[in-house]
Order: sequence, then C-alpha cells, then structure tokens
Amino acid sequence: MFSSVHSMSLHGINVREVSVEADVSEGGLPVFEMVGFLGSEIKESRGRIRTALKNSGFFLPPKRITVNLSPADQRKSGSHYDLPVAVSLLTAMGLILPEMLSDTVIAGELSLSGKVLSVKGILPMVLHSRKNGYKRFILPLENAEEGGAAPGIEVIGVQSLRETLELLTGERKPEPVHIDISELLKRRQRHSHDFCSIRGQRAAKRAVEVSASGMHNILLVGPPGGGKSMMAKCLPSILPALTEEECMEITGIHSIAGILGSGVVTERPFISPHHTVSSQALSGGGSIPKPGDISLAHRGVLFLDELPEFDTSTLEILRQPLEDREIHISRASGNYTYPADFLLAAAMNPCKCGYYPGQRCTCGETGVKKYLSRISRPLLDRIDIVSYVDEISFDELNDDSVKEESSETIRARVTEAFEIQKKRFQESKIRFNSEMTGDDIRLFCPLGDKEEELLRESFKALSLSARGYHRILRTARTIADLDHSDNINCAHLSEAISYRITGKGIWDV
Amino acid sequence: MSETKIRYICALEPEFPEKLKNIPNAPDGIYVRGCLPDPGKKTVSIIGSRNNSEYGRGAAEYFARGLAKHGVQIVSGMARGIDGISQSTALKSGGSSFGILGCGIDVVYPEENRLLYERILEKGGLISEYPPGTPPRAALFPQRNRIISALSDVLLVVEARQRSGTSITVRFALEQGRDIFAVPGRITDPLSYGCNTLIADGAGIATCPEDILEALGLIQGGRNKHRKLNLNKFSGLSETQLKIIRCLDYNPVSINEIASKTGCDLSDLMLELLKLQLLGCIENAGQGFYILKLEVNGDGSR
Ligand SMILES: [Zn+2]
Repeated sequence: MFSSVHSMSLHGINVREVSVEADVSEGGLPVFEMVGFLGSEIKESRGRIRTALKNSGFFLPPKRITVNLSPADQRKSGSHYDLPVAVSLLTAMGLILPEMLSDTVIAGELSLSGKVLSVKGILPMVLHSRKNGYKRFILPLENAEEGGAAPGIEVIGVQSLRETLELLTGERKPEPVHIDISELLKRRQRHSHDFCSIRGQRAAKRAVEVSASGMHNILLVGPPGGGKSMMAKCLPSILPALTEEECMEITGIHSIAGILGSGVVTERPFISPHHTVSSQALSGGGSIPKPGDISLAHRGVLFLDELPEFDTSTLEILRQPLEDREIHISRASGNYTYPADFLLAAAMNPCKCGYYPGQRCTCGETGVKKYLSRISRPLLDRIDIVSYVDEISFDELNDDSVKEESSETIRARVTEAFEIQKKRFQESKIRFNSEMTGDDIRLFCPLGDKEEELLRESFKALSLSARGYHRILRTARTIADLDHSDNINCAHLSEAISYRITGKGIWDV
Repeated sequence: MSETKIRYICALEPEFPEKLKNIPNAPDGIYVRGCLPDPGKKTVSIIGSRNNSEYGRGAAEYFARGLAKHGVQIVSGMARGIDGISQSTALKSGGSSFGILGCGIDVVYPEENRLLYERILEKGGLISEYPPGTPPRAALFPQRNRIISALSDVLLVVEARQRSGTSITVRFALEQGRDIFAVPGRITDPLSYGCNTLIADGAGIATCPEDILEALGLIQGGRNKHRKLNLNKFSGLSETQLKIIRCLDYNPVSINEIASKTGCDLSDLMLELLKLQLLGCIENAGQGFYILKLEVNGDGSR
C-alpha cells in the first residue's frame, strides 16, 4: 500500500515542500529502504524510526518497504523527517486514513522510545505551509509556541508518536496552540541593561542615541573598565520595539541556527562574538551553512568588543554584508543567502595602556599610532560615529541626586526618529539615514547658506577628508530628525562633525 | 632624493661651520646634503622624547613655529617624536631646519619621516659625520648628539623622561657652553620629569617662544608684554565660549568632562566647540578630547 505525507525542507532560510512517500509491498526480500537525495543523517534515521515504531507498539512488517522524499532533485538534510516518515509508514500499513493527512504538514524528530523531539527551523516551515494553503501543522510540543506564532494555520504540538497517531485517527482532540505576538510585543520589555544605571557620560549617551536613531554604526573608545560594553549592551533597549514581521524574521533565523529556546524572539538581538571568533562562525559555517553571528544579529546589534584584537582577515567578511545587509555563502550544496541587517557597535581602548590622550597614558604618540594601525580599515570606513566613553568617576557612582534618563524615555525619541525616516524613505529601497547614498543626500540634506559656510570652514580648518563629507551629512540628518527639524541647522551639523573628528587619529577624518 | 648631491666638507675648509670647530672631540669632516646653517642667523636645537604626549606635540609645534617666524633655524636629530615634529613645523611655518643624522646621509630613518627628509632639502639640509650607506646603529646616536648641541645657540628640551638620550645632548651642550632651556610640565608627568629636573638644576624656563627669542637677543621687553597679548585672544568670546575655555587646559579634557563641568546643553556645547576650533582657540586632540591651542603671540586668529 502507498501513502504520502506532507513535510517541508530547509535550504538556508528558504523552505520547500517535500512529500514523504512510503510503500509497503509484498514480494522480494524484506527490506527498509529510503531514497530521495538524502543527507547522511536522514539515511541513518531508518534504525531510529524502526525502533521508535517498535517502542510505540508497531512492528514494521517483514515486507519490502520503500520511503521516498520527493522531489528527488533537491538535497534534503535535517532530523525533522523522522515523524513524517513514521506517519507515512503507519498510513501505508493502514493504521491511518489517508484523508486525515490532507492539508496537514508534519515535522519532528523521534527518539528511540517514540518521543517527539524538537527540531530547527519550525517557524519558517509553518509560515511557508500557511502560504501554500495548508490548514494544519503537526510538530513537536517543544516547538509549539514557536510555530503557534504564525497566524492563519492550526498548530498542534505532540509529545510522542503514539499521541500523533491518536490525533490522526481522531481518538484525541487536537489542542491547537496560538501565540498572539502583537500582544507579546506590546508587553513592556524588561531589559537587563538600562541607561538609567549609567551615570554621567552625557556626550557618549547622546552619541549612542544618535547611532540608534539612524542605525549609524558606532565605535566607542575609552579606557578599560569604563562604560563601553555597558553602553553597547544598552543599545537594544533604546531601539524601537520589534514589529510582528521582524519578530517572525528573527525567530526564523534563530530557529534555523538552533539557538532559539522556546517561543519567539521578542527583543532585538545583541550578539557579541569573542575576538577569537572564526570567519566561519561570523558569516555562517558548515557544508550546509547555519546562520552566523552576523545573521543572528539581524535587526539587532552586532557588538565587537576589543576591536583591535580581532583578526583583520576575519573582519574582512563583514564588508559585503555591511554593504548589502545580507550575506551570500556558496557551498558545494548550493548558494545560501541569510539576512544580516544589523547595527554595528564596536569598542576599543584608545591605546595599549588605555588612557590616551589623557595624562596617564604611557604609550606616547608612536605607540598609539602603532596600536591604532592594527584596526581593520574597511570596517572603520563603515562607521559614522566615534564617541569617547570616560572612566566612571567615583563622584558619579555615589551621586544619587541625579536621576538618569531611562532607556524607555530614550527609546520613545528613537522611535519617533524611525517614524520620520519611514515616511522619508517610503518610496525608496532604503530605510535609514545611514543608508543614504550621494543622490539621497542631495535630496534629503539640503543646507542653508550659513550651514554651507560652516561646513566649508570646518573642512578647511579641521582638514576633514572628502570621504567624511557624506558621513557628516547622514549623521546630521539623523540629529535633525531627533530634533523634529526639517532642515539641518548649524547645531546639527557641528554635532555630526564632532562625532567625526572624535575619530581623529583612528581614521583620516 | 638621490638627485641632491652629497658633499664632503673637511674641517680645514672655510665652509666648515665655525661652531663645530671649537668643541671637544670635533669631527674631522662632515657629509652634507642641501645647505649648511647660515652662520648669520640664530640657531635653536629642539629635542625631546620619541614617544611624546599630545602636550609635547603642542609645545614642540608652538615653539618651532614661534621661533621659525623670527628667522631662527631649527636643528634636531630627525627622530620620531619631538625632533620630527619641531623640524616639520619649522618648515611648514616658512623657516629652515637642519637634520643631524647618526647614520649615512642617504639613509632614511625612521621611515615615517620620509616626507621630512624630502622637504628639508628644499629649505635646509642634512648633516652627518658618517659616510653614506652607514646603517642606523644605536651606538652612533649619542656621538651625533654632540653635533646637534654644538650647532645651536640655545638647546630647548620639550619633553624628556628621567633617563633618556636627551640627557646626553644636554651634557654635551653644557660642555660646549650652550644655553639650555626646558619646557615645564606637571610634576606628576613622567614625560616632563627630565624637563622639570633641568629647570630645578638651573636651565632656563621656556613658557613661550618669546622667552627664547629674548635669550637670543632677537626681541626685547620680556614675556609679560607678550603674555598680555596672548590673553587678548579670548576677548570677544561669548559667555558660553569663555565657560568652555575656562575648563580647558593644555592637557586634553574629554567632551563628557567639559559637558559636566560647564553644564551646557550638549547640542550647544558641540556647536561652540566647533566655533572655538574655527577661531583657533582650541584644538581637537582626537577621541573626543580638546585642548587649548598654544599660539604664537600676536599671530592673528590661526
Ligand atoms: Zn597609552
């Protein structure tokens, strides 16, 4: 007897439909065969499935059993075919009526005992199933909250093969799981890092706010033990709340990478790879590449602490994604594209001892130059804002009289700046001021005579480089947006220039 | 740079600098590219640490510029740090400069001063007692220092640690009877230790180029007259700008600190900081730090 079960296959973040067909027939030697361009982990699953069936009380008949995963021209990998294969076999054995399987997609891994184990990439599979008109998705209970985030499709979590059978024979009443993400995202997020816990540092806080508002990549410089990492860790708390769409997107990527716990991602990611990270881990590695750190940081923050310690060739790979906001990986198994649209934040000491250009620095100018020459140039070229984060002084630590602004207050301003940009770029491909190119800048950053003159004088007097010109205007646009001003005025401009010249010595300003 | 001819001038030739003749252990001859210092003009050697601070850079530029504008020739050892900064600034300010090398005259060392090697031949020269091709060797540098001090009327030390090559040059200058001036620094700053000790031991205190110009007999009236001029620079500034100026120093102050000291609105502060930079009152020291700009007295706005 022949049967067919719907499942899905993952290719990077792309999902394709797969039919899991099983045939149990008389004649010939008893054999259990699986075909259909399968990865080794799927070929190995035969023993697992047979045992899981046995421990659930079903014995495969000593007949000729063939399982085919079609279409056969697509390579399949992953452990989520166990459950659909088992269900397909049970159907072929006549234990499940084929009509119970119409409009239903199944995915899940089996343990030897017959338990259904969680798998990667559930949300993208469920979303794709809904798009293709399926009505129901049976998946591991552990993945139910994740899958339940997709609207318009019934998601049912199962714990065992036995339970799955009962569900498909109608013995068990289905309990669909649905998660209302909009409600979840509306709930006030509690961030572990809040700006109200950082005292003083007014200039640095402001720089971080501007960075978040226009998604300008930022470099924080300062002595060791200062507030650099703390400052960076607060960044997600002032970025606008995730939209439903973004939540699904991020959850999907994290799910494919296998780092999603249960449920969905409700906060902007903050990914901070160690400086010994390999380029593979950063970009996405493996013969079938998993999303790397830069994709896990999608719609969030990628934080590189101790920037000069990173291998410059490792950082090279950031170049293309910083430009395209996605990463292309080619492997023998095919080409993969993962989204990688993140805010880059980096931190570093100003010199080896950490105190330049203050009095305590023992490096001297040459020492400082040598230290700074280690940093990846292409990366610096992508940074709009440099800010100095001071040491935390004890006065500031002990002074309880000053009430610092909370992240929530700052986030409200950043969100408004996001709205202004959304309006500005609604006809355009780009979303943020930091993405503006020459034409956009001419269109959206006109300067008055006074501003034009200030900029001209500054370029002359401060020997700014031509390459700094667009950067300054992009940042000035964001500062004006934060000020709800249509025009860029001299104050906006000088603040933008200040963020540029703070990098003097680190790059050619 | 090979186009510029290398000449050898022996101690007996009339062209040989008078100042080099009457010193202990005088060289038998020197190799020269470009020209020799003009004996009719005053000469100051500016020396100091290779690993200077921002303060040291500012001071070296301040003195080199101020002296060069009065036609003083600047001599130094072409090293990285204070040497190179002083010499480059002298050339940029329209003055002349002479580099005394501890290696062959055709050897560029350190590499980062290559541009200076090219520029100096246009408005000054290079001098060495070692034959062309001699590689830079640490052992040769102390001996070279006796020529630096010998060629000068005044030796000015800008920044020096407790034990450094600078002290060797100072010892030669003492033996040769040259005047010594030092730029004072904070007593807590190891880079100023050498200078402060020199002042304690009786060296002249160099607080502005006028101090040296006066010692050279090029100006009269002393520093107080010029000091007043220096303060005039801040007339016409707004209240906020003065508030910012008051919390700045010749040592870098961070923008966070300026913000908390002045209590200014950040946006105003950054606008005023930029204006003050354009007025030439302050300078960006990099990484969000600002310093007062050391300025030649009565030298206009920039
Ligand atoms: Zn240092």
